[in-house]
Amino acid sequence: MAEFDVNGVQNVEVSVKLPCEKTVIEQLEIMEKYTDTHRSLLGEAKEIREVECLKVLFPTMFRSIQDADVIAGRLDILPIGFGSVTSLGGAGHFCVFGKLRSFQQQLEEKYRPRVDRLYDYWLDHDLKTKFCTKVLTDATIGRFIDCEYPMIATTRLSGMMLDYEKLLSNGICGLCEFVETKIRQEPDNTFYHAALTCFQIYTSSIDGLQERIKNASAPTRERAAQLKRMYDDLEAIRTAPPKTFTQALQMYWLYSMLAGVINYGRLDDFLGPYLSRDLDTGLITEDEAFVYLKCLWTLIEARRTTVNGRIIVGGMGRKHPREADRFLHICMRVAKVCRYVEPQFTLRFTKDTSEEIWDEALDALGAGATYPTLYNDDINVPAVQYGMRVDQKTAEQYVPFGCTEFVIQGQSTGSPNICFNMLKLLTLYMNAGIDPMDGKYKADGIETPALDSFKTFEEFYDGYKKLVNHYLDLAIDAQMESYRIMSNNISNMFTSILINDCLDRGKAVLDGGVRYLGGTNEIYGSINTSDSLVAIKKLVFEQKKYSLGEIHTAMLDNFAHAPLIRKDLLNCPKYGNDIEEADDMANDVYELIAKGTRNRGIAAGMQYFLVVISNNQLNTEWGTRTAASPDGRLSGMYMNPANNPQGGADKSGPTAMLNSLRRFDAKYHAGSVQNIKFSPSMFNEHREVIKALFKTYFANGGCHLMVTVVDRGELEDAVVHPERHKTLIVRVSGFSAVFIDLDPKVQQELLSRNLYDEEKCL
Amino acid sequence: MMKKNAYENAEKRISVMEIERFAIKDGPGIRSTVFLEGCPLHCPWCANPESQEIGKKLLYAADRCCGCGTCAAVCPFSAVKMNESGKPEFNRDVCRKCGQCVAHCPNGAITFSGKIMTAGEILDIVLRDKEYYKNSGGGITFSGGEPFFQYEGLAAMLALSKASYLHTAVETCGNVPTQYIHEQIDNIDLFLFDVKHSDPCEFHEITGGNLDLILNNLHYIAAHTGSDVLVRIPVIPGYNDTQKIIGDIFRIVQDCGIKTVQLLPYHALGVNKYKRLGRPYLLEGVKSLQKNDLKAFANMGTEAGLQIITG
Repeated sequence: MAEFDVNGVQNVEVSVKLPCEKTVIEQLEIMEKYTDTHRSLLGEAKEIREVECLKVLFPTMFRSIQDADVIAGRLDILPIGFGSVTSLGGAGHFCVFGKLRSFQQQLEEKYRPRVDRLYDYWLDHDLKTKFCTKVLTDATIGRFIDCEYPMIATTRLSGMMLDYEKLLSNGICGLCEFVETKIRQEPDNTFYHAALTCFQIYTSSIDGLQERIKNASAPTRERAAQLKRMYDDLEAIRTAPPKTFTQALQMYWLYSMLAGVINYGRLDDFLGPYLSRDLDTGLITEDEAFVYLKCLWTLIEARRTTVNGRIIVGGMGRKHPREADRFLHICMRVAKVCRYVEPQFTLRFTKDTSEEIWDEALDALGAGATYPTLYNDDINVPAVQYGMRVDQKTAEQYVPFGCTEFVIQGQSTGSPNICFNMLKLLTLYMNAGIDPMDGKYKADGIETPALDSFKTFEEFYDGYKKLVNHYLDLAIDAQMESYRIMSNNISNMFTSILINDCLDRGKAVLDGGVRYLGGTNEIYGSINTSDSLVAIKKLVFEQKKYSLGEIHTAMLDNFAHAPLIRKDLLNCPKYGNDIEEADDMANDVYELIAKGTRNRGIAAGMQYFLVVISNNQLNTEWGTRTAASPDGRLSGMYMNPANNPQGGADKSGPTAMLNSLRRFDAKYHAGSVQNIKFSPSMFNEHREVIKALFKTYFANGGCHLMVTVVDRGELEDAVVHPERHKTLIVRVSGFSAVFIDLDPKVQQELLSRNLYDEEKCL
Repeated sequence: MMKKNAYENAEKRISVMEIERFAIKDGPGIRSTVFLEGCPLHCPWCANPESQEIGKKLLYAADRCCGCGTCAAVCPFSAVKMNESGKPEFNRDVCRKCGQCVAHCPNGAITFSGKIMTAGEILDIVLRDKEYYKNSGGGITFSGGEPFFQYEGLAAMLALSKASYLHTAVETCGNVPTQYIHEQIDNIDLFLFDVKHSDPCEFHEITGGNLDLILNNLHYIAAHTGSDVLVRIPVIPGYNDTQKIIGDIFRIVQDCGIKTVQLLPYHALGVNKYKRLGRPYLLEGVKSLQKNDLKAFANMGTEAGLQIITG
């Protein structure tokens, strides 16, 4: 069994959550009660254990109603509890050991042994720990996030986007009726029995929230009216389907809290009809709807999941496009005024999307919102069709979650439970399998020939491919095991109820309930790798200027005594400049990893297992533990962000960079983050040019863009005077963040990226 | 016959300073600007001094230099000497531009500016963005230097550009043989035409140029129906930033029947290039102008009935 640090950080957490409202003793007691419930039901069916544990959390963990809230539902998360994603605790029955230890420090000495007892119990029962114990190895697979390894793995059920239309159209009574019918057919099906308990939890949560509304302060008549509306809306959706926009919004939100999902899907399509009807009948005005959506934005921001919170609008396959667009327009207004890092407001569009929507989107981006992120359906829908092996109608329901990973809303899983460092593999491949960072052997028995034995570039590259392929074998096994271990222990009941076809089949998501079992593999350092391969090919095998050994020696020395070698490596063609030689290699490396991943998923019986070239800030973190590389990158330096060039390597302007970005065939991936950054004057004073730039990129195969509009001077000043830039939001890579909250190394990586400015164009 | 011409054009060798993609201030839309070397003038404020003469120029960036002395050690002509403060000094008269110092400098502090490309190679790069030009109303712009200075190269490029259906713009100082303009005018959609002064003697003294020739050319272009012309006035403190000079230029322009004038505020972004070339910068210490600084001139132009663009 591999050794790993159970207390280690498990996910990116740039946005810090609010402290829990409850006293530490109350928190301790809840965690003890949760633990006791879990222990007492160890012998019971997992569904029953799960819902009984959830009863401990709901409605207890709801926070009080805050002054500006018009939708009810804020939650506290304790170090022990139930969840599906790492950013809200963890997968299944979880214990976040590091946080539990910090919690312990807040207690008086006499209470601390009680925490020790919890800690010890969960060492054997925390789902992630079980997974780590089984899957991690000493040399090849590390835990999330241990940057010493070429590959890391975890268990979680990220990115679930539920079939809210089913919830809203049936109401709890409709769902209940369906389940009861099923129970009459299958009286022993524990999934259905547990589903009924979920509905009770839903109802008791309504009670709990109504209680909190009663206790909320109402200093003005206006506020009192708002609170009454909240109370009445909750009452209206207690069992029946919602009739109004605010009821539908409340119901969707409450259910998301209970399910522990943090990405929300195509709100325009499932809420638009309610909004549209209420606007037409005068029940609500656009300005009132704006207030409600702004509140939703605030509640999502308050969950502080850092890299999630997706709200998607626009695009193909909407059932109610006209009504949905009315919703979309209000969202655009909200996105423009909010300086939040979440929700990750996402626009899907086609070549037929109206100029009005384009202008709204560019206005919000130009205001510095970093939203909406832009997804091109004309490329993505056919790509998803191929990649996920589904028909067009299904593919039209693709939705990006987290940093960019695609799932089919209400129909598939896509959890990225593997992260894969291509560049680390290259550095250890060139070093007889030993990672130069820590001197450990990590090639796992795969042949790493002596560097002077390679007669051709192809031989060298083929050897590297073998190592990559071996790690891909490990990746698919770990992904499958991550699902197996969840299936053995939990049912994600609330999620399962709204994922097709769980209710029909009477099975939880990972027990055979989900229609399309998918997963994703996060790829890092692929551009550094392809740039490295180009440099080796040119300097060693074509120009014969250096031997592989000379380059390798220089790398091990971090180029300290070989600055000329580094200069030559840096001067080789680099991806991001629209140079075929570099872009062809990048595409070759992409297809190696993308097809390798996809083929293994199919062979393993999954609907799809696809790469995502997203990244949070792991390109920087993993870079700190990745040795110097043949692209001229120094040891410990950040790696390239997502699908973008290494910071500063692109020197030919935005058209050239976009031409490089669009090279990859989207059908082999399930999302590929493409960032671009402009100064405000460039973006806002040349709007028509920018629009033409984007539209041309998209018309020619660009699948996606994330746009930051920011002043370079402001970024630089924020490094020195963070106190002056508290609301400066930037796109990192797949997520937005308040710049001053970022780690200094991540800030430097962001600064290294090109910012397109007018100055160059004088 | 056509094929042979196209082939000959594509093979034409041209001295290029730089190709800038996504140029958005050198004509309408998204463009690529090809900077050709060579210029008949020597304007002291020139922001591209490395483009004034044809051929390789050695650029030395002191801020990147670590003072290791490698350049002095490897120079086969003893053209580089280390000075007392431990930095290299280049004797550019002795330098044969062999490239030894460039190749051996560990920090990339020494580089060459300028390279020879064929017109076909240039076009290949430019055409990579043709969809962007099409969707934004952009195209190709020739700048410099003075693009007409390499007349045959420019003619070849214009012919190739037109054969590729590109919108063409030429940024010119106008100090070129009128015959060249006659010959090329049908291949040029837009002239970005600099008028830098109103007094022929002063203009000649400052730049070495012939203002009468320039204005003759401007008249000819303005009268030609197939091409647009935008007159640009670089406003340079101490050289032409007086109401009299700018006002006179406005009148000259109006006499040609031209309606739009762009005022370009002086910027000092070229100063580093002079340092790298080892040349003195005559406008040292002169502050860059902002758009607002040109308001009075702009108002003057507007009152005279011109459409004024600033910046």
